[in-house]
Amino acid sequence: MSAVGENVRRSDGEGKVRGTAVYGIDHEEPHYLHAKVFRSWLPAGRIVRLDTTKAEQIPGVYAVVTAKDAPHLHGFACHDQPLFATDVIRYEGEPIAAVAAETWNQARAALKAIEIEIEPIEPVSTVEDSLAEGARLVHENWEAYTEAFPLVRSGNVAAEATMERGDVEAAFAKADLVVEDVFRTPRQHQSYIEPRVAVARYEEGRYVVHTSTQWPFNTREGTAAYLGVRPSAVRVIVPTVGGGFGGKLVAGLEPIACLLARKSGRPVKLVNTRREEFLAGNPRDNCSIRVRTALTKDGEILAQESDTLIDNGAYGGEMPLVAGIPALLLPTNYRMGAMRMRSRLLYTNTPPTGAFRGVTGTSLNFALERHVDNCANALGMDRREFRLRNCYRDGDLGPTGQVLEETGFVQALEELERVAPWAEASAKRPYRGVGMALLLWPTNPMPGGMTLKLNEDGTVGIVSAAIEIGTGAMTQGVTQIVADELGVRPEDVVLLKPDTDVAAYDAGAQGGRTLFGAGNAARVAAEDVRTQVFATAAGLLEADAGDLELVDGHVQVKGAPDRRVPLATVAVTALWTAGPIQGTGKFIAPPIPYEQGCIVGSVFTAINAGSWNAHLCEVEVDPDTGKVTILRYVVVQDVGKAINPKAIESQIQGGVVQGVGYALFEELRLQDGVCQDTGFTSYRLPTALDAPAVESIVIEVPSPVGPLGAKGAAEAPIVPVAAAIANAVSDAIGKPMNEIPMTPFAVLAAIHGDGNGAG
Amino acid sequence: MPIELTVNGRRHELDVPPFYPLAVVLREELGLNGTKVGCFEGRCGACTVVVDGRTVVSCIYPVGLADGAEVRTVEGLASLEGPLSPLQDAILDHGGVQCGACTPGVLMTLTALLEATPSPSEHEVREALEGNLCRCTGYQGIVDAVMAVTGGAR
Repeated sequence: MSAVGENVRRSDGEGKVRGTAVYGIDHEEPHYLHAKVFRSWLPAGRIVRLDTTKAEQIPGVYAVVTAKDAPHLHGFACHDQPLFATDVIRYEGEPIAAVAAETWNQARAALKAIEIEIEPIEPVSTVEDSLAEGARLVHENWEAYTEAFPLVRSGNVAAEATMERGDVEAAFAKADLVVEDVFRTPRQHQSYIEPRVAVARYEEGRYVVHTSTQWPFNTREGTAAYLGVRPSAVRVIVPTVGGGFGGKLVAGLEPIACLLARKSGRPVKLVNTRREEFLAGNPRDNCSIRVRTALTKDGEILAQESDTLIDNGAYGGEMPLVAGIPALLLPTNYRMGAMRMRSRLLYTNTPPTGAFRGVTGTSLNFALERHVDNCANALGMDRREFRLRNCYRDGDLGPTGQVLEETGFVQALEELERVAPWAEASAKRPYRGVGMALLLWPTNPMPGGMTLKLNEDGTVGIVSAAIEIGTGAMTQGVTQIVADELGVRPEDVVLLKPDTDVAAYDAGAQGGRTLFGAGNAARVAAEDVRTQVFATAAGLLEADAGDLELVDGHVQVKGAPDRRVPLATVAVTALWTAGPIQGTGKFIAPPIPYEQGCIVGSVFTAINAGSWNAHLCEVEVDPDTGKVTILRYVVVQDVGKAINPKAIESQIQGGVVQGVGYALFEELRLQDGVCQDTGFTSYRLPTALDAPAVESIVIEVPSPVGPLGAKGAAEAPIVPVAAAIANAVSDAIGKPMNEIPMTPFAVLAAIHGDGNGAG
Repeated sequence: MPIELTVNGRRHELDVPPFYPLAVVLREELGLNGTKVGCFEGRCGACTVVVDGRTVVSCIYPVGLADGAEVRTVEGLASLEGPLSPLQDAILDHGGVQCGACTPGVLMTLTALLEATPSPSEHEVREALEGNLCRCTGYQGIVDAVMAVTGGAR
């Protein structure tokens, strides 16, 4: 019986529905102290005086730490961020000090006893302010910063990427038609239900921290950098994670908890409040994107030119790498004769932005696919026809010149047509509209290792730092792959809680890579285990190792199912003959050839294991209130190989609903650098009543490098949603909606004006 | 004056200030960590528990109001050594659990709903869930699970 392809239950499910699963917020250590962070209330300023003497004297307070205790700068891409503000405040919510006390109330009292004077500075509050001539530098000392990756930086430009292929000038010169649009997208907060938390202790000269992270090795590296110790002096252990969506990739609370633990001599627990999550939770970046396309009158795309501005906030984190993503996500999906793209990431005095499921792709795909509708409309061509005519087909070149061998757009569009015929959906009705969007979405190629050990009872232990953040990638996908590879039941596969002291490096739950990367490492490790199992079993069964197979928890001779021995017997026999059986595996995606030299300032040069997606949405707009109602939502998604169809369906439904929030109402608003939304009272998340029924159709265009052909499945579903809905709303009201979120106010204004963002 | 609580059938006398949030008492005094606190502002619903048959967001519900009351939490939905309840089974089978942080609150909301309305319509289920934010599943798996255990059509 094969587990792959079945709707196997998640192995952590029972604990989650019984309430016995231990999350980061549930982890406690004996006699732990409660910690709190003192944060700036101004978006920009200079610290004139900071005195923690009185705070230290509050009864029950064990430790107070400030920049003096952690002088190091760090950042995933560029080392531009201190743990605590030293003299300069760069965003509202920036940590200035932290305290640890016996009780939560004592910790809070200590925060109030901190004496501080801040001289306010006019904040650089928007990307436009940051770019303006003579703009104040958010980082006066930017030139001195060191980098983890080569970056193109200059003043307030934290990173710049450019790409050019073909003769763009000539293409625009001979165009029959040029279409130009500007798109704007908002900040969106990840809003996982479990807030960030770190529980740290200092023992035997090392730091041990239990934390809710998506990427334990990156958390280890960042924590060590802030503490000024080597990474192996920090041990990161990850309890059950209550969601992440990209928000828990970099170190934040962990180094603060570690510092306090060392200084106090006691374990320390630090949990973010929801307000702190909104102030300092690296939300999705807000963007503005200008796209210009040269077209022939019969609908050929001669060239595309784009200029993207991304709000970095006050510090870089992983964002400087994100500056290169527009190269892969704007001049894409369709054959284009030539292309030129520029993207800049701008420092502002706002909370640092960061990764959120579909990193920047949600903005870029919105811009591209909305622009494609505008192009088709300008040509007087049917929007589906225009897509079908130009979309990638086998052998076409991707944005950076990689050869796309097996494409899936045509199949995706045909599947869509089968369930939702376009002619029917696009028939004109007042204030009803339909939209579609295509997406070619990469799978993150980064490395990971894994150990599988065969227990004496014939069960298999997975020792891995790959994280289960809720997607099922580990507790379903990888578990199912391991079960099949070793002929055991999924319930006989035991998943260890990730621990950087124990498991090999893994590049974290990001970019849809967990099943892809850890699944591949698992297959290699399983092969290693199998070889050892067969070597021992060959002796027991008096057969050639090459004639053996693993079935139903047994090793048996192929074609002779009566000649079999339980895996447990093999494991125990091996103990006393060859030694305990454990196998190791590792994986990193092979590099993909591309047109070298066409792209500058980006580490992302090609699309790894790209998934082919088509979304369709039908809406109704209330012309009196501007409210958008989604009547139908259909997703066709290529996953390469569906390891667990139900888990994939759940990813699609959840991703689409996050996309609905992004398209229609979610926006983390800022005014003069000050956060306007600091809780769920004003930051509106989609509820059960907002969530449309989502029809999902899974197709399989196998990846030659994915495990069993599988590609990332969890990230793509959020990405094309804003475009599909905006195309439908634009169709419904007959005016372009080029900005999101499309709140009722924005839709009403568009109905009574010329659309939005048209200039 | 001690506060008297019956939680999942077990009686407790607790010497805690009456304004303490019920969620904090459950988690820190009684060790019932199944109830999650996601926002501490009564908005996300992860901390939902049932007090005398009525759902409350326990993170902002003063324990004093539950004095003498019958409190039910996720830990009480199935006996520790027994099988899962039909709803717990169904929510796993229908993809209604991902990260699981909202799940305890969702299950308590649905428990109260089904006791009051044994055969709710899909819309009634969604209305009941409006105070429970789930960022992972898009709610469909949760709704499907309820319709499956009540035999209702989607």
